[in-house]
Amino acid sequence: MMVKTNFDLKCTIALALLQEVMDPELGLNVVDLGLIYALNFDEVHRRLETVMTLSTRHCPMGASIVDSVKAQLQTHFPGYGVEVTLTFDPPWSYERISEEGRKFLNA
Amino acid sequence: MFTVNKQGDAGTVTAPNVVVPFYLYAALSFLVATFLLCASPVSPGDHYFSPHTLAITHVMALGWGTMIILGASHQLVPVLVEGKLYSHKLAHLTFCCAAVGIPLLVYAFYTFNMGWPAKTGAILINTAVALFLVNILCSRAKQDNVHVVFVVTATCWLFTTTFAGLLLVFNFTQPLLQEDALHYLPLHAHLGIAGWFLLLVTGVGSRLIPMFLVSKYTRPGLLWWIYGLVNGGLAGFVLLFLYLHRPVVYFLPLASILAAIILLIRYCYNCYKERIRRRVNKQVKLSLLSVSMMLIPLALLVVVTVLLLVTTENTRLVMVYGFSIFFGWLTAIILGMTFETLPFIIWNNVYHIQAGRGGTPSPQDLFSNKLFNGTALSYLLGFLLFTGGMLVQQGGMIRLGAALLLVCAFLYNLNTFRVAFHKPG
Repeated sequence: MMVKTNFDLKCTIALALLQEVMDPELGLNVVDLGLIYALNFDEVHRRLETVMTLSTRHCPMGASIVDSVKAQLQTHFPGYGVEVTLTFDPPWSYERISEEGRKFLNA
Repeated sequence: MFTVNKQGDAGTVTAPNVVVPFYLYAALSFLVATFLLCASPVSPGDHYFSPHTLAITHVMALGWGTMIILGASHQLVPVLVEGKLYSHKLAHLTFCCAAVGIPLLVYAFYTFNMGWPAKTGAILINTAVALFLVNILCSRAKQDNVHVVFVVTATCWLFTTTFAGLLLVFNFTQPLLQEDALHYLPLHAHLGIAGWFLLLVTGVGSRLIPMFLVSKYTRPGLLWWIYGLVNGGLAGFVLLFLYLHRPVVYFLPLASILAAIILLIRYCYNCYKERIRRRVNKQVKLSLLSVSMMLIPLALLVVVTVLLLVTTENTRLVMVYGFSIFFGWLTAIILGMTFETLPFIIWNNVYHIQAGRGGTPSPQDLFSNKLFNGTALSYLLGFLLFTGGMLVQQGGMIRLGAALLLVCAFLYNLNTFRVAFHKPG
């Protein structure tokens, strides 16, 4: 699982928080599912930009997942303006699921 | 690096008030159909072209199968075309026309009053299908994928089916066709069964099953083969029926459809084999079982066609054939897929505003597992008893099977309404 960032420490904290946001269908969190592509912190303007994807374009649960990610980061980074950007380039693939995610799905 | 889409592709879900009425209408139709099955039991010697059988068949085909597929399609088409549903208003109009037209047509068959109720019902149903077709065509993506082509083609076949039905209804009072309705019934029925139900279920199922199983298996080439075989077989059947009408030639389209179904079973099996998610829930298991249940009507169709060569039509086997399609394959897939789709639609509506705050139930918590188990058990027993009773001409088995199917429909309705009217605790 690769998440691009410009601030390793805060990225680790953010990813730990995002492990509580679940894909409702799979019961697997968005981090282990590999939906998070990048977390960029702009310390000057106090902005946190999250670049993420969905397993399917126009996924019926997509809006809910995106809002969950935003709400979770907003709650725990109160001084930051949180922005979530969706991308499908590159598209999500099963290879993005983490080892932990695969163990969960294989259980 | 990533290409970002600032507008996002996440907020384009079809509103639940568009989709849910179709589900509820379908659930009630299933209850009505099983009630009619109990109230006017089929006798082993009955002909399929009888008022009660026609009424039950149309409740199942239109009220149950078509309405729930229309509802699910309004939800799933945005996923397939990767865009928005063109119009919610058209979707509401589709529902209204079908919801009024279906009971009128069924009442007309049940009382065999082929006057205004049948004609108005048939016109309204055709209007509903035409509106749905417009909505689907206008929702299409710039670049079609195989699943979208399946859905569009299936809807065209559905319109052909309902239009043929309209002609048959008018033919009762004003002769429009060369032959009577009984003659054209196999054509009308198979346009709907293979053209609408088989193509649609294949197109949507081939997209959903890998999603639900988290399977890496994708073979668009195989799906195009299935598409060609179903459409080729059906178009061949239409031409042979209209211009040759000899039972011996029907084996050609039959072989084509059989090959398509075998390829579809292979596709589903490979999806299952290459899945990442090991645990398969009961809803998906029932849906996968329904794919293999397609072989029952096919086997019966082979026997019916062989018997046509050597003797006259075996109406009992034709009845079992129809029953195994509408109460067998189609019902099994709907019973499974309802609880794999409806809870998500409702969950998304009820809990979206609580996103990220924690403490929300999962979509699977919205329906009762006990009711689902009861539904599945009564369904499988009811289907086996009814089918067996028809085959061995045992009235008691038929009545018991019908009663179990009524229990199944009742439990299914309880669970469906429980999900649809879920309120946060």
